[in-house]
Amino acid sequence: MKSLLQTILILTASALVMTLRAQRVTGTVFERNGTDKKSPLVGVNIFWAETSLGTITDSLGKFDIARSAKSNRLVLRYIGFKTDTIRVTSENNFEIVMKPEGQLGEVVIRGTSSQIDRLNPIQTEIITTKALAKAACCNLSESFETNASVSVSYSDAVTGAKQIQFLGLGGQYVQTNVENVPTIRGLASTFGMSYIPGTWIQSIDVAKGAGSVVNGYESMTGAINVELVKPDAREKLYFNTYVNHLGRGEVNLNLNRKLSDKWATGFLTHASTLQNRVDNNGDGFLDLPLYTQFNGINRWQYKSDKMMAQFGVKALYEDRLGGQTGFRPDEHRGTAQFYGFGNKTNRIELFSKTAKLYQDKPYKGLGLVLNASLHNTDSYFGFVNYDGRQRTLYGNLIYQSIINNTNHQFKTGINYLLDDYRETYKDSLMTRTESVPGAFFEYTYNHLDKFTLVAGLRADYHNLFGAFATPRLHLRWQPWENTTLRLSGGRGQRTPNAFAEYYGYLVSGRTVRFWGQTIQPEVTWNYGLSLTQTFHWFDKHWDLVLDYYRTDFQNQLIVDTDHATPLASHLYFYNLKGKSFSNSFQIELNTLLSKRTEVKLAYRLFDVWQTMGQPFGNSVLQQRMMVPRDRVLFNIGYNLPYDKWKLDLTVQWNGQARITDPMQSLQATIDRKPMPILYSQSFMNINAQASRAFKKFEVYLGGENLANFKQPNPIIHAEDPFNKYFDAGQTWGPVVGRMIYAGIRVKIKD
Amino acid sequence: MKQLTFVVALVLTIVFGAVANKPGKDKEVKIKTSAVCDMCKERIEKNLTLSKGISEAVLNLEDKVVTVKYNPKKTDEAQIRKVITETGYDADNLVCSQTAHDKLPECCQKTSEAHSH
Repeated sequence: MKSLLQTILILTASALVMTLRAQRVTGTVFERNGTDKKSPLVGVNIFWAETSLGTITDSLGKFDIARSAKSNRLVLRYIGFKTDTIRVTSENNFEIVMKPEGQLGEVVIRGTSSQIDRLNPIQTEIITTKALAKAACCNLSESFETNASVSVSYSDAVTGAKQIQFLGLGGQYVQTNVENVPTIRGLASTFGMSYIPGTWIQSIDVAKGAGSVVNGYESMTGAINVELVKPDAREKLYFNTYVNHLGRGEVNLNLNRKLSDKWATGFLTHASTLQNRVDNNGDGFLDLPLYTQFNGINRWQYKSDKMMAQFGVKALYEDRLGGQTGFRPDEHRGTAQFYGFGNKTNRIELFSKTAKLYQDKPYKGLGLVLNASLHNTDSYFGFVNYDGRQRTLYGNLIYQSIINNTNHQFKTGINYLLDDYRETYKDSLMTRTESVPGAFFEYTYNHLDKFTLVAGLRADYHNLFGAFATPRLHLRWQPWENTTLRLSGGRGQRTPNAFAEYYGYLVSGRTVRFWGQTIQPEVTWNYGLSLTQTFHWFDKHWDLVLDYYRTDFQNQLIVDTDHATPLASHLYFYNLKGKSFSNSFQIELNTLLSKRTEVKLAYRLFDVWQTMGQPFGNSVLQQRMMVPRDRVLFNIGYNLPYDKWKLDLTVQWNGQARITDPMQSLQATIDRKPMPILYSQSFMNINAQASRAFKKFEVYLGGENLANFKQPNPIIHAEDPFNKYFDAGQTWGPVVGRMIYAGIRVKIKD
Repeated sequence: MKQLTFVVALVLTIVFGAVANKPGKDKEVKIKTSAVCDMCKERIEKNLTLSKGISEAVLNLEDKVVTVKYNPKKTDEAQIRKVITETGYDADNLVCSQTAHDKLPECCQKTSEAHSH
């Protein structure tokens, strides 16, 4: 007790001394002008890290700011320049030279494992490599394990495909970009989450609500942007190997090399496989498909004072094999002896980004993004074949500058998107070519970082569906130091791909039918409101985030699995007639329990409804399938400096979701009763990981689904898979039980 | 219920694990180095922290002194200095390992002028 008192006394005394010494920090900010001249920078935002105590430089580039008790890191932020952080001790009268950014887009300071970007007008959560290391495995789909906004689950019990849930809706309504280029879309949306290995990822930004108009019109509920490891990264070599007790093995190797002052090249590679047949629930079906994936990127980067360019190639091969444990494709494919599932995917992508920089006007930039990809996928589900091919061209020309001063910025440009689809399901061939030229303008007004307005508008002309406008608006207001309010609204549009997006339902005896008119594009309006509050309580720093988002569909592709008759069970696709909406509410609390212990607690509520029953002349507002209404997430992490020891535990509780059962649907049809409303169980998922760093390498050991919860009977009619009521698409919980893994990471820095 | 017990047990393990790890009878030593910039600071701190018996290392770039907390049962000052010299930096009167020093990026070598990085 006495020592505690002493500590408090000493702390108070030192705090007093600090205050007495408080004084102010002064300095001047410059930019380099030619080789040895420099000129002052006016209007640079300067603030203490993790506080909003700030100022801006005057007309001579000078600043004067009171010292802060909470932070000794001074952040300098100026559009077009690299954000700079200086550690301030006792010195004063700084002379700081800021360096031009050399690329379009914002640079954000990243410290803790995940954080909310307080200056971004769009509510954005940043997942850093530190948070990614909390779950050792394996690819993008596992990267959201400790994120409360994004959840990922298996779409069915056979294929291993994973689906995002975000603001109550599926991953297809989120624009998933890799370095600001829309990537996981179209046919790639089925398995796309497993196409980005975790070791390639540098950081992930999760933006909620209507996104920016710069990257297109397809973001409806939000945008996820993945930044990959860059060729000029400090890590020259990064090697990771992973193995789990089910027999999955994985190797990743990243190599980066600076060739000269201006040129750098990088290789990101990945190979993984599972060849062990696992059937823990004894239903005669593999719990996980056997698979092999090879995946790689080679990228070249050029950076000079005047321009920046990068180009490269991505290639992917994946082979999946699932179904009954006895199934051998060479012997049994096309026979009724065993039910089998197979998928082979090849994907190749060429990409390039070029930016012209203006040394004397760093806020100005001109960038060109060009991408071409070819995606080929061949599948079979028992006797049913489904093949798809997608060719895509994407180009985006962006110009950014200011109006008078940096308080008024704008981005404008033109882009073009070409999608060429060719799909065959059973005997029917479906082709679709979409050609969409468009133009956009986005204006940003920023007042002392206290108030920001982003107003964007784009106009596109779709060759099949005509012209349309996409307006979006974001407001950010920081009335007090610790409070940030955000408001957003905007329109989104996309063309659905029924087979790729509802792939899991194809592993069934259902008869696929498109009902009524041809499928129209999906159109949404999304509105959101959020509050970010930081406060001190019990001597600790807390972050509270509250948000509410609503998505209203003007048109939607309705997927109806509710119906079965004595002749068949159905998978209906039709255009929405009536209402469809999603309400999402989330509350999240983060704190540092001690210097080394980080805690997160979050609750989220989804309320998602749509009008269904059209093929039967009904119009019933029903809950969207497979969306758990409630979810709770708890995460506690303990870290020693330089990650000598790292312990992490995540507990998720998932509430009930609406499901269907073809047998019960059939009974209801026979009894002439309304379709039964069924719910899944709620369940808990526990993951934990420990890792220990040594000088040259790091080892980790972890477990997923430690409570060993398994969905009972994930496959309906598993014993008779050629039955028309067979259904493996009703998966709401884990199919595999507890899983233990271990691995090594080796990093060689310069 | 079984799941809940499991969760509670795991949380307790982590919390107590963290408490148990608190340095009890740690000793402290201050060593002058030849660090130049933030990259040097990170390199020295990391290599020290990840060495046996050391719980914390903080380098002050102003006076280039690194303050190391360590468990005297597991390591000693000579060992700690050796870690620094093998990283490529001088430790008090001990001169750095030449091979390690030459492997450092140019900006971190002793001839380099002070700069921010």
